[in-house]
Amino acid sequence: MKSTRIIASLATAGVIGFALAAGPVRAQDAQTQGISSNEIRIGAYGPFAGPVYMYGKLAMNGVEAVFDKVNEAGGVHGRKLVLVREDDNCKPEGAIGAVKKLAYDAKVFAIIGGACSNSTLASVPELEKSGIPMVVNSAVADAISDPVRKNIYTTMITSSVESRAQVDYALAKGAKKIAVVRMTDAWAMARWNPLEAYLKAKGITLVEDLELGVDANDATPQALKLKASGADAVILVLYPKPAAVLIRDSLKIGGNPLWVGQTAINDFTAFNKQVGVPGALARFATITSTAYQPTDPEMKDWAERLKKLFPNDELSTFNMNGIGSAQVLVEGLERAGKDLTRDKFLAAMGTIKNFNVDAYAGPITCDSPKSHQCNQAPGWLVLEDGKVVREK
Amino acid sequence: MEYFSYLMATGISTGALYALVALGIVVIYKSTQVVNFAHGEMFMLGGYLGYTFHVMLGWPYLLSFLLAVGAGFVLGLAVDRVAFRPLMQRQTMVSVLLAMIGLSFVLKGVARWLWGGKGDYLSFPPLVSPTPISFGGIMVMSQQLVVLGAACLVMAAFAVFFKFTRAGRFMQATADNPKAAKLVGLRTDRVYMYTFAVGSAVAAAAAVLMAPLTLLYPDIGFALFIKAFAAAVLGGLTSIPGAVVGGFLIGIIEQLAAGYIHSSLQEVAAFVVIMLVLTFIPTGLFGQRRLRKV
Repeated sequence: MKSTRIIASLATAGVIGFALAAGPVRAQDAQTQGISSNEIRIGAYGPFAGPVYMYGKLAMNGVEAVFDKVNEAGGVHGRKLVLVREDDNCKPEGAIGAVKKLAYDAKVFAIIGGACSNSTLASVPELEKSGIPMVVNSAVADAISDPVRKNIYTTMITSSVESRAQVDYALAKGAKKIAVVRMTDAWAMARWNPLEAYLKAKGITLVEDLELGVDANDATPQALKLKASGADAVILVLYPKPAAVLIRDSLKIGGNPLWVGQTAINDFTAFNKQVGVPGALARFATITSTAYQPTDPEMKDWAERLKKLFPNDELSTFNMNGIGSAQVLVEGLERAGKDLTRDKFLAAMGTIKNFNVDAYAGPITCDSPKSHQCNQAPGWLVLEDGKVVREK
Repeated sequence: MEYFSYLMATGISTGALYALVALGIVVIYKSTQVVNFAHGEMFMLGGYLGYTFHVMLGWPYLLSFLLAVGAGFVLGLAVDRVAFRPLMQRQTMVSVLLAMIGLSFVLKGVARWLWGGKGDYLSFPPLVSPTPISFGGIMVMSQQLVVLGAACLVMAAFAVFFKFTRAGRFMQATADNPKAAKLVGLRTDRVYMYTFAVGSAVAAAAAVLMAPLTLLYPDIGFALFIKAFAAAVLGGLTSIPGAVVGGFLIGIIEQLAAGYIHSSLQEVAAFVVIMLVLTFIPTGLFGQRRLRKV
């Protein structure tokens, strides 16, 4: 009996000792999970299908193009980059599940992605709980990265930055009567809310606040109301299709205010074709997150690399968002050094200042710990003499 | 007055889009008693095929149009073989409807896989000049007049087909009573097959004509289907003229609601119409009540 008690005590002490020792070991595993001697596994999540698949799948394709280029040159400190994709279906439960799969099953080192604002926002508690570094490249909701969270950075221009920029642009161009035409889905509301707040702070009353459906094939009622209101600037919180239909129908009835777009309409060349009426975009300006148009010669190498990897793809601004964010991620990995850990990577990301990448319009500055919204420099695209140019 | 005139003119031209899609829904329903929930996606694929031939391969417009219509015909044959016939033989209507819904998702996935990487919304060159023209003092897009003309032409062609041709009468007989049709020797399986093929070919033709106005993207099919379905329900699911009148009425209701009440009503008007019609006029404005004489 005495020997039994001794054995039981020793076993208990052994278990406690193991647990204490394993605790720091498990935390150390998390710091370096996804890293081996020859590769770093990076996760990505976003929609593979559905109406907004381009913010997920196409952005991921852009990320893979960067990884392909980096791997060709030997990787990051000798380690090749491997992308592990998960489909979140643009749904909150999908994003939470994707983070869990990537963090605990696939055990990736970091995650790049987050396409839909609603779903990415829903995944934030899980991201924080797992501690896995996250670089957001498409979702624009401010709440994802504000307040600052240690392990979450975003390289996408957020909706409040864009909304303020749209108002400021209209005012800078001398607009006295401003109208808004918007969709009413979650994407549009994420932009409308800060826009409405900013207008109120500036003491501006809209002459019209109109809605237009994402699949609208006609916008004549909206065009008639805009013309009747005398709006000289119209802020568009629309995807390219409804925006194209609105501009086309406004021209049809003789309306031609200043149209102020945002990053959803930053492929100017494609948008011009979508509107389909010559000269329609003479008074159109849009925010761009990207430095170039997909067809510009500066993007030729990326277009070719993307085509090699994904023959069905033509380079688009969605791919370019992936390219830009992946270049920032790689920079963070480089700066963190060969003895890579999560903490070192996150600290390295915070040191990135005035970093220029091929795809983004403005330099990237992650002003940690004040702000993890690294892209605060929207550019403006306009047509000048028939050519798309960045407005100075 | 100009305000009202613009809304009416646009309502009619938008309604023509819905009418053209609704015609395909009604033709298939008239023969098979099945609402083809994949009809929107068959329309969408027809448009993408036209884009492939004309824009990607650079072939002439007319050739591309005819090839897209031909491909649409073949797609309809395939849909009948794969989704419709096996389940109709078991006479499980719910299964057929579910299969159609499932097929719509499959076709959308195929389109995203093949063309999704080309861009979010693909532009298609119009058949006529893109510059607006004056029509009775109202400015309209020329392509809208093309679609309006096509809708009237297709309606007339189908009306003649069902009233004066043997094949059309076979289709009506099969729709009225498939068992009796079989008993008198009609090849009902062939009737269904050609119904799907013709419906899909019309959808493809409509897509190529409409694509300059609607742009091409994988979800265009469902977006137009729901409006066209409302038009078909309003006009009567068994009535070809009803589909056209229903289309125009939906287009006009949308425009007037958005123009005079609130812009947000433009999208919901079609759904409200479906609800009201199903509640108060279940057979639609021109649909026939099915009478069984004992």
